[in-house]
Amino acid sequence: MLQSSVGALRAIAGELSLYDKSISAAKVILTGFAVVFSMLFLLIIIIKSYSAIIAGLQRASDNRKKKKTKLVLEPVSMDKGVHIITKPAYVTPPTVDDDEIPEEVVAVIAAAVAASFGPSSKARIKSIKKASGGRSAWANAGVLDNTRPF
Amino acid sequence: MEIFNGFLDAIYGIFSSSGLNTLNWQNYVMIGVSIFLIYLAIKKQYEPLLLLPIAFGMLLVNLYPEIMAAPSTELVRMADKSDPAAAGHATQLINGVWYYENPTNGGLLYYLYQGVKLGIYPPLIFLGIGCMTDFGPLISNPKSLILGAAAQIGIFVTFTGAIFLGFSEPQSGAIAIIGGADGPTAIFVTTKLAPEMLGSIAIAAYSYMALVPIIQPPIMKALTTKKERAVVMEQLRPVSKLEKIIFPIIVVILISIFLPDAAPLVGMLMLGNLFKESGVVDRIAKAAQNELMNIITIFLGVTVGATAKGSTFLTFDTIKIIVLGLIAFSMGTAFGVLFGKLMYKFTGGKVNPLIGSAGVSAVPMAARVSQRVGQQENPGNFLLMHAMGPNVAGVIGSAVAAGVLLNVIPH
Repeated sequence: MLQSSVGALRAIAGELSLYDKSISAAKVILTGFAVVFSMLFLLIIIIKSYSAIIAGLQRASDNRKKKKTKLVLEPVSMDKGVHIITKPAYVTPPTVDDDEIPEEVVAVIAAAVAASFGPSSKARIKSIKKASGGRSAWANAGVLDNTRPF
Repeated sequence: MEIFNGFLDAIYGIFSSSGLNTLNWQNYVMIGVSIFLIYLAIKKQYEPLLLLPIAFGMLLVNLYPEIMAAPSTELVRMADKSDPAAAGHATQLINGVWYYENPTNGGLLYYLYQGVKLGIYPPLIFLGIGCMTDFGPLISNPKSLILGAAAQIGIFVTFTGAIFLGFSEPQSGAIAIIGGADGPTAIFVTTKLAPEMLGSIAIAAYSYMALVPIIQPPIMKALTTKKERAVVMEQLRPVSKLEKIIFPIIVVILISIFLPDAAPLVGMLMLGNLFKESGVVDRIAKAAQNELMNIITIFLGVTVGATAKGSTFLTFDTIKIIVLGLIAFSMGTAFGVLFGKLMYKFTGGKVNPLIGSAGVSAVPMAARVSQRVGQQENPGNFLLMHAMGPNVAGVIGSAVAAGVLLNVIPH
């Protein structure tokens, strides 16, 4: 069965004249060049455009934030050791922007660091970032519920 | 005496159905080849994840060809027309004797092979690859897509070589796709264009992918100057999460609309990437890139290997395929480097042409080769992330090239 189909294909190949083969090869080369390059060029243009749009939007959003919140770098010492470098002079309570970490949370982290390293240490908090990608409390509850038997 | 005769009959029956009686010399040669490939996979670690199952599938099918046999119907003689054994079966009267049709099952690997034959496994492998791929370097430097496209030129040029060597158009297309250096794409295209060549083409494609560190460096060095190879590229800009999320959606829309034949491969690749970048379906992303991909790799490897039966594999055509595959692969590398040189000229020496060779998919091996060759000239040069751009662009490029071949070649 397999060999007969190979034979059939060979027969078809045998029927192609040199001219037919040249035409077929030229057709595939030209179409291949044109389509692959045009698709990928189109992708380049699209990637560049949307990257520029996103960069523009992010710049605008950063500018808005800068106007809203004026950050003052002011070290606050705790027993000579821990320094907090962010202290918003103007906070808009009670809602906090997603990217910002509330002052209370910073204080708690600083206190925890100070307690952990001891008052004589020279620990210094340079930046605090929110961890992303974790599960929400509801998702955790769901996973626990589903995996409890294991 | 009756017992002894029965014993002899049983022994004769076992011998006549054993491999010693049914296998031919081609099977024995292929058993030797498969053991050599198993050695390469284990001792030399040449793409062991694929080469080992491929080699073992090859070994199995040449020891026991029935393992790939399709289901068939055998005719069983009936005692008389109303034989109860024939209940529920179709009957036939041949030369005055009644027979009933008894369907027999196919071999184990025949059923697993359906995933290859129907084009299911390669897109599922792409799903896992998508989950593992970071398109950040490509988004950060979209010009690397040009290098991903340039490395596909080898595919189309090799098509010409194959057709003039006497292969049919579909066979030439299947051979040419080896130049894409992308195993799943090569298998996907071959199952559609020339399924009878699947064994030879898959083995050639995976062998060349394993030999990337040996094949590429001489070509890269021959086509570049010492000065070009020593170019240190500027650091890539960081890419935001939003850009990474938008990328797979845009790519799948664009390619599926313009080139629907590439949609199964590109669609699954981008779905996997969206799983990864969205960050909201970690469990699915992990399953796709670990469990699912590993299972599919086993099925794909063993069944592709099992297509390499001695009688169909040991032909002069296989040698031609292996030589043409090497030409396709080398030309892909060469065109990638040559376009890299063009970019070097146009950017005033800011692009290191060595990253062009990574345009032939083979992720991440080809990018590692660019890094290694670059470091030989300048130990402080780190080209890896720059080469990852053309490398992942090559995956998209070879899928697009596959779409072109499937579209242009009548099959």
